Amino acid sequence: MNNLDRKLLRDLRALKSQALAVAVVMACGLAMMIMTRSLIVSLESAREGYYERHRFAEVFASLKRAPKSVAERIATLPGVAAVQPSVAMQVTLDLPSMDEPAVGLINSLPDRGEPTLNRLYLRTGRLLAPGARNEALVGEAFAEVHGLKPGDTVSAILNGRKIPLRIAGIVLAPQFVFEAPPGAALPDNRTFGVFWMREEELAEAYSLEGAFNTLAVSLAPGGSESAVIAAIDRVLEPYGGLGAYGRADHPSDVRVDDEIRVLQGLSFGFPLVFLSVAAFMTNAVMSRQITLQREQIAILKAFGFTNRQIGIHFIKFALVIVAIGTISGAICGYLLGQKLVGMYHLFFRFPDLTFILATGALVAAGGASALAALVGVAGAVRRIAALSPAEAMRPEPPASFRPAFFERIGVARGFSVTFRMSLRNIERKPVQAALTCAALALATGILVIPNSLRDGISHILDFQWDLSQRQTVTVSLVEPNSPRALADLRALPGVITAEPYRGAPVEVQAGNRTRRLGLSGIPAGAQLSRVIDGSGRQITLPKNGVVLSRTLAETLGLQPGDTVRLRILTGERPTRDVLLVGVAEDFAGIAAYMDMDALNRLLQEGDRITGARITVAEGRWREFLTAIKNTPRAAGVVIKEAMRSSFRKTTAESIGLLQTIYLGFATAVAFGIVYNSARISLSERARELATLRVLGFSRGEVGSVLVGELVILTLVAIPFGLVAGSFMAKVIISTVNTETVRLPLILTASNYAFAVLVVTLATSASALLACRRLNQLDLVGVLKARD
Amino acid sequence: MTTADLAAQTMPAGTGAHAFEVRGLCKTYGSGPSAVQALVGVDLDLHPGELVVLLGASGSGKSTLLNLLGGLDSPTAGTLRYRGWNLGQADEAGLTRYRRDVVGFVFQFYNLIPSLTARENVALITEIARHPMPTAEALELVGLTPRAEHFPAQLSGGEQQRVAIARAIAKRPEVLLCDEPTGALDVKTGITVLSAVQRINRELGTLTVVITHNAILAEMADRVFTLSDGHIHHARTNADPKPVETLAW
Repeated sequence: MNNLDRKLLRDLRALKSQALAVAVVMACGLAMMIMTRSLIVSLESAREGYYERHRFAEVFASLKRAPKSVAERIATLPGVAAVQPSVAMQVTLDLPSMDEPAVGLINSLPDRGEPTLNRLYLRTGRLLAPGARNEALVGEAFAEVHGLKPGDTVSAILNGRKIPLRIAGIVLAPQFVFEAPPGAALPDNRTFGVFWMREEELAEAYSLEGAFNTLAVSLAPGGSESAVIAAIDRVLEPYGGLGAYGRADHPSDVRVDDEIRVLQGLSFGFPLVFLSVAAFMTNAVMSRQITLQREQIAILKAFGFTNRQIGIHFIKFALVIVAIGTISGAICGYLLGQKLVGMYHLFFRFPDLTFILATGALVAAGGASALAALVGVAGAVRRIAALSPAEAMRPEPPASFRPAFFERIGVARGFSVTFRMSLRNIERKPVQAALTCAALALATGILVIPNSLRDGISHILDFQWDLSQRQTVTVSLVEPNSPRALADLRALPGVITAEPYRGAPVEVQAGNRTRRLGLSGIPAGAQLSRVIDGSGRQITLPKNGVVLSRTLAETLGLQPGDTVRLRILTGERPTRDVLLVGVAEDFAGIAAYMDMDALNRLLQEGDRITGARITVAEGRWREFLTAIKNTPRAAGVVIKEAMRSSFRKTTAESIGLLQTIYLGFATAVAFGIVYNSARISLSERARELATLRVLGFSRGEVGSVLVGELVILTLVAIPFGLVAGSFMAKVIISTVNTETVRLPLILTASNYAFAVLVVTLATSASALLACRRLNQLDLVGVLKARD
Repeated sequence: MTTADLAAQTMPAGTGAHAFEVRGLCKTYGSGPSAVQALVGVDLDLHPGELVVLLGASGSGKSTLLNLLGGLDSPTAGTLRYRGWNLGQADEAGLTRYRRDVVGFVFQFYNLIPSLTARENVALITEIARHPMPTAEALELVGLTPRAEHFPAQLSGGEQQRVAIARAIAKRPEVLLCDEPTGALDVKTGITVLSAVQRINRELGTLTVVITHNAILAEMADRVFTLSDGHIHHARTNADPKPVETLAW
């Protein structure tokens, strides 16, 4: 080690707490970036490998029923490589671990051999034995929640007959990476599970022998997805086809895509802000260091060191800080990423989701930080290089000051002398003050973001389940029924009110844009399921016309008063142009609402209902659930509280974890910024402060002189920070929002108060730490030496 | 009320004809083999109102002695009393109070606050002093009234040092300590500064201690102490101190 490097190490040791503050901010930015980039790489590579190995299909279709020969015809369509027809049925399950019934989606498996497409991955147990009856495979997410193991038995109601199904094995399937009921925005692994049975047995139960109602298709190389979809739709139309769709609309794949999009949003904005702050801090620390070492540098130059050598010496200084930041950021990002990968298990089921460190991002991030640090040092080094040694050896000329702006305009009459000192200091170095102020504002702003996510979630919880959905339970029927079915439901024990609804699959079209979804028919004067507008008021559904959710209307480019085309995908499959009469607020998925009678008129099937929303008396809840379990007509039961707690456990918990991580980062950064500012201020003014101590100022008084500037800057920064934070929250939320889940931007006074409190605490703590260093001021030495 | 009364109020009451009473004063920096003995058993009495010059080469211990008298540092051994009050044993708060109420300092490099004007540099002290003189009066005493609204960067070295003197005397200190006050100044400016110091000593009766390595300046003092190797090597009394203007250096 040469002596210049030895000097570097000792300088660093003297500057360790400041170097650490910079490294912490840098590490936070890098950790976030590495964590999110690594998660993206992990998810993408897990998905790609899984889809390929298990032959995930590319086009999907559901239909009422069609003979297998139709599938063979589809296999011959141009662009189609392979088809896998199968039977899929939604059934009611009776589980000993649950009071209420659960919903199972049973898929068929070919009686011989593996399916051509969407092959299963066996986690434990075995696959179905040839010819075996009453045997099923179960999806891992559902099995885990209910503690199901191979050999356990689950009762399912197949076409009105209760059949005990013995579980042979626990499996995963590429079409159920996100294991949620069709159309659901959130997973609820307690009340919904996927199963597989031998085709012969399942088809027999539903009289679908030699037929299929679900189709998966893979494309030939160069095959056009849209052409294949259109061709399949034409073929399946006579068989009650509900419309084919590609992977981009596949509910499971869309969720994985959405998650990756969210991560991409997070991997950019936050780290950029943090790394910029770190670059600024590096610059501030290095500039100060170079100013302090002005005479040492002059001596080095006088003894023949080149500008290059001296420049490299200081660049090494900055690079050591960058290295500490990068290494600790990478470790932190790696550990957090691993933790989050574990959390993804709640949502996504891959055979093997292992954490892959995004080394490319690591290198890029380290490089970017190093570059930022170099830019930070370059200016200061250039200044030194421009000085002749003789000039550099003379002390810097005394700083020139002038009365501050407030004094010049005459409003400073009552200001104390120490307050004036602070004002003039700020004004003398406007750029430094502005940058410190900007950093403090950022520290305030980044604290607003995580809590706005939390408040958005709690708003959704309140909105979705208190304002909009007021039922205890939603019961869906196996197929559209006459209103008599409602009377049967009303007669169940404990039912207080039961409100019918009519649902129908529909394609909504405006111009050349279309979306497929379930159209809800809600009876006039409904009190349990309410359609709410943007200002929180209930929308009365008129006798004609349709109400769309805000996102759907925006996606289709529609406004109230426009005409929208509804293509019903069931029954007589009528197509109607109807008026868009209103836009409803909601935060998950897309939705369309009509008056129930109007929908029934449109469907031309007479008075029909597909389910009911029910409130149940509290004391008779168990009785009600037992009764509903034994109601063959009930296809599914969704309990609001179960949904809410599932949402809390999954989505809310995962966002909560992110919120905690980001809040930790934001706090660390706020602290780092403030502490660094205080230390630089202390270093710049050590002589002045020591003089005041000698002149008889107490430690507290000198401390207030030191802190005064910081307090002024913090006070100025806070309002800007709150505005900036609100803006950043808006940007971040808009990048993480998708069609499936949308967080509203909720900014509360308590969120702002929290941000202000943390920054105030960080300022106070840093100020205290800096003030403690006042004790170490060398009163005698400072007076002896010139600045 | 005099400043002595004030001192008596803020510090344990003491008596004595001497302002400072120094016995066997030692100051050692560091420990073990690397220890440096800056003062080795100094005995000294200083009286109210006199002007004392401490002479000595660099490293002789004169600055250490001044720092101890000024409450900037604590002795390793020996006693150091100010008006009977045990300055050598005072704690941090006591020392701060002592510096605040009793002592005025003038440094070689002025140590003005660059962000404050001449008037404000003085006012900074009058704000915390118990019975200060008006700021304008302090500046008048050093002849700087016309430059009162200038910042340090706009003043010459001599002017800056006179501001420093005005700042030191504005609180009406009982003791004025000057550490090489002319060390950074040319001869002519040095004379202006020292005559301000002498004038204050005469007019306000402030016990004044001036450190210098310039032996000619000793002629202005009532008493002169020469230090070497941490001892008082030589002491003498000037029967007839000379006005600074008449000194040739």
